[in-house]
Amino acid sequence: MSKLRLTLENSLNDLKDSDGRISMATQAALLMFLITLTLTSASIQKFLATNLDQMLGADLVLETHEPLAPAQENALRGMASGVSRTRLSGITLTHKDAWARVQLKAVDSQYPLEGTLRIADTPASPERTASSGPEVGEIWLGARLATKLQARVGETIMLGGKALTVSAILLHEPDRLMEGHSVDLRAMVHHDSLSATLPTSGKDRTRHLIAGPTDAQAAIEAWATDALPAASIVKKHGGQHPLATFWQRTENFLGLASVILFFLGAVALDMTNRRWLAKMRYRLAIYSSIGTPLGTGIAMALGGWFLSFLLAALLATGLAALAHSAIIANLQTVFPGAEASWSVADVAQTIGLLLMLLMALQIPSMLQLSRASLLSLIRHTGEDSHVWQRLFWGLLSVSLLAAAYSDNWLLTGMTLAAIGVALVLMIALTWGAVRLGDIWGRRRTGLLPFAFFIMRQRLFAKSAQVMGLGLCGLLLLFTLMLMRDLSSMMEGYARTHDGNLMVTEAQENHVEALHDWASANQAKVLTLRPFVYAKLISVNGERLNDYMQKPSDSLASLQEPIRLHWTDQMPANNRLKGGTFWQPGTDNWQQISVEPEVMTDLNFSYGDTLTYQIGDNQYDFTLTSSHVFQSGGGSITFWFQVPASARAHIDAPSRFMGSMELPEAAWDKLASLWQQHPTLALAPLRELTERFDQTLGIVTQITSGYAGMILLLALFVLAASVSGFRADDRQKNGLLMSMGLKDKDCLWLNFHDWAVTALVAAAGAIGGAWAAGLMIYEAQFGMSYQPNLWWVAGTMVLMVTTVCLVGYLACRQSLKVSVRDLMNG
Amino acid sequence: MKTTIELENISHEFTTDRECIRLFEDLSMTIRTGQTQAIVGPSGAGKSSLLSIAAGLEAPTGGTVRFFLDGTNVDARTLRANSGFIFQQFHLMPELDAIGNLALPLRLKGARDAFDQAADWLAKVGLSDRARHRPHQLSGGEQQRIAVARAFISNPSFIFADEPTGNLDARTSESIASLMFDCARETGCGLVIVTHSRRLAAQADTRLHLEAGKLEMAA
Repeated sequence: MSKLRLTLENSLNDLKDSDGRISMATQAALLMFLITLTLTSASIQKFLATNLDQMLGADLVLETHEPLAPAQENALRGMASGVSRTRLSGITLTHKDAWARVQLKAVDSQYPLEGTLRIADTPASPERTASSGPEVGEIWLGARLATKLQARVGETIMLGGKALTVSAILLHEPDRLMEGHSVDLRAMVHHDSLSATLPTSGKDRTRHLIAGPTDAQAAIEAWATDALPAASIVKKHGGQHPLATFWQRTENFLGLASVILFFLGAVALDMTNRRWLAKMRYRLAIYSSIGTPLGTGIAMALGGWFLSFLLAALLATGLAALAHSAIIANLQTVFPGAEASWSVADVAQTIGLLLMLLMALQIPSMLQLSRASLLSLIRHTGEDSHVWQRLFWGLLSVSLLAAAYSDNWLLTGMTLAAIGVALVLMIALTWGAVRLGDIWGRRRTGLLPFAFFIMRQRLFAKSAQVMGLGLCGLLLLFTLMLMRDLSSMMEGYARTHDGNLMVTEAQENHVEALHDWASANQAKVLTLRPFVYAKLISVNGERLNDYMQKPSDSLASLQEPIRLHWTDQMPANNRLKGGTFWQPGTDNWQQISVEPEVMTDLNFSYGDTLTYQIGDNQYDFTLTSSHVFQSGGGSITFWFQVPASARAHIDAPSRFMGSMELPEAAWDKLASLWQQHPTLALAPLRELTERFDQTLGIVTQITSGYAGMILLLALFVLAASVSGFRADDRQKNGLLMSMGLKDKDCLWLNFHDWAVTALVAAAGAIGGAWAAGLMIYEAQFGMSYQPNLWWVAGTMVLMVTTVCLVGYLACRQSLKVSVRDLMNG
Repeated sequence: MKTTIELENISHEFTTDRECIRLFEDLSMTIRTGQTQAIVGPSGAGKSSLLSIAAGLEAPTGGTVRFFLDGTNVDARTLRANSGFIFQQFHLMPELDAIGNLALPLRLKGARDAFDQAADWLAKVGLSDRARHRPHQLSGGEQQRIAVARAFISNPSFIFADEPTGNLDARTSESIASLMFDCARETGCGLVIVTHSRRLAAQADTRLHLEAGKLEMAA
């Protein structure tokens, strides 16, 4: 009991010095970030689970992109006790001169199977419930759509040449869950209201809402897995919410951000550890001198460290609870009804994970503690710095955290590689600069040669300081640089994009109409590139969802049909990344070229067989090459490309994607084009940039918070760096002043020391950021890395100035005390 | 039942980057409880190494060292659990006050009355009024008094002192020496002191002179 009490007293005593406080603050900051992330995630997951029970509108939903064949429809209806069929299409609705891109839901008379619809007469009037959808000849408009089109109940809207009466404002659909977090404008009609000639799009979705007992659901699921490989199924019981993987990916991305924060934290902790270790070695040696076994001493040191971690965890949990409530309140726009809830198990798991990682960081210290000896009190033996061990365990724990959180191995690998480049550069520069400086100064007098001599004596400690500051600079610089460049890329999108109207999907019969309309209105069709919708269903014969469980952006996109382009030549805005691209006119049409990021996320290799569902048939392609986007030659690039000869073998309608340039006067005439061709999907650049602005707003909010965390940890690193080396500097200054040097000389000497440290660290940070930019910009964001040299130089000057200033202030502080105090350290 | 440390024909050396330095060879001695011994000799003769070997902190490169506690042959770890040390640099815990430093060995051994015993010892060394003072608030002599009391407080079988008065003036050294020898005689432990001071060595029951690898009885 007395040992435990002593351990607690030691732990509290250790928190009284600056190293202890910085260490605990760093641990608390990291814990707060991760616990907030975990709590937010748990609340959202809980919301998703509850939401799944209440908002599916059926026991089971089966979604396909092609309507079921009559035989399949009959088989399904034979197994279920109730079936309602709905079809969703992306169309453009017009009313007078107003137009809007809409998700139109065509429902049958059985809709909805479970739950009720909520409608009203105007967007603002009281709602009422409806047990079935609109009648034939009627259309219900979503509240936002009605406002945008300026359409009221009783008015008529033309759709595919058919007049439909607006009979209600649609407020809520019981199967709303299936739309996920889509914010598309919405409208609903009866299936029989749609003109039979209304063309369909490859991205249309047919949904069967199914009711039935559990065994019938299982039978339907088994049947669909076999007969409809491209179908997706959502179950009320034991199923996964469609938004669950979206949120999982968001959480994983934030997890990667936490890897960077953890790395910074590890640097700060490593710096404070140096002093902690010296203190523990001394304490253990004294314990040993009064008859306490080394093992007991180590257990007490570990216990003390653990108690300080627990204190940090308590503090962090309290702060995380507050942050979590604030974030959930903000997220209610995306997840309406979500509530901040506690998950003790998740919090404990997160604290446990961080404890393990921090313990991994402590391993070198523990190894050194096991060598603590009473002899050191008699002989004053020196301490090894164990730089390599500390580096190894630091990198290992960061890699473990990356493995636990990251879903994007390419990005994680590149970030770690950039850090590696910076480390090697800084080690080489430190050793080179200090050793060369020492050689240069051997036969010279003055403070600078002496500064090099002192640095040479403390080379290992100096390397650790430089690496810490340099890594901190790298992560700070890269994060700020990326934020700046992403923002300017988004802002500059309108300037660099070819054309001012994107043709996101045109069908074959639209092409002629587009050209005619363009020539009649002095507009220009700039590009139109063909594609078919294809859904990847298996890889090397294994179903996609069995083949790859790890969530990623690529996998999420491949749950939907993607655009498959055919070409004989590598497009002008692509270049070959790997493998062999086919020759023009090749007879071997079953080849495919894939974007490298998709290859990495899906773990594809050259020679893999990718099977696609296109229309009613399945097609196999062998992966032979990969292509990457390069700027110039238009902005449209496709993830998957096949030889032109493949087109003849594929039985599916062609679609087109491209861009147009419209003069100002032509914009008002677009409504007439859409009235004739409502399924033609055009996106004005203004609309695109509006969406970008919204995204940019969210990105800015997230990155600002994240940059705040980075800055906070960078501050800890700087404080740890000054605090960790203060005792050494005090002793050195005392020694120099005892030899007759003036305060001014000591300050000047320290300034040289800090300036060399800061310059090497800044050079390493810039080198690392450069490497990261070259690797990550193009691969992850499709941007070419063109660093602004003035900006880089400015950052470097700022960094060196800050470090020198902090070093100068710390030195001035230490010089205020007398020589005797300085000598005592 | 004998409680002794027996060094039999021990030799010791260490190597640097360039050479192998032999400190002593074929050296024997016995340390008993109830006896005080002083080892004197010039700097670099190997006095501290001999002390470390006798205390079981390091093994000699040749010869045999045996430790007996109440007639039982024990290993170095067990011996260390029954030993105390006094250093030239005092080595008190800077974050603990005087009474905290003194109570430390007892607390580590689980004694419930650690602070009561520490208060008694503090009175014995004349520092009751300094109980709440930290080491940096005490003079060198006061620090060493605390260090001496700390070494004795848990009633060890042996005390090893490495230049205990090396950092103190003549008058303070005198009082520290008296304190050490009085405590050793009172508790009946074996005290081994390594020192340059002839006055300090003169107070020990046995004086050994180590020079050029030879250990001889001093006058």
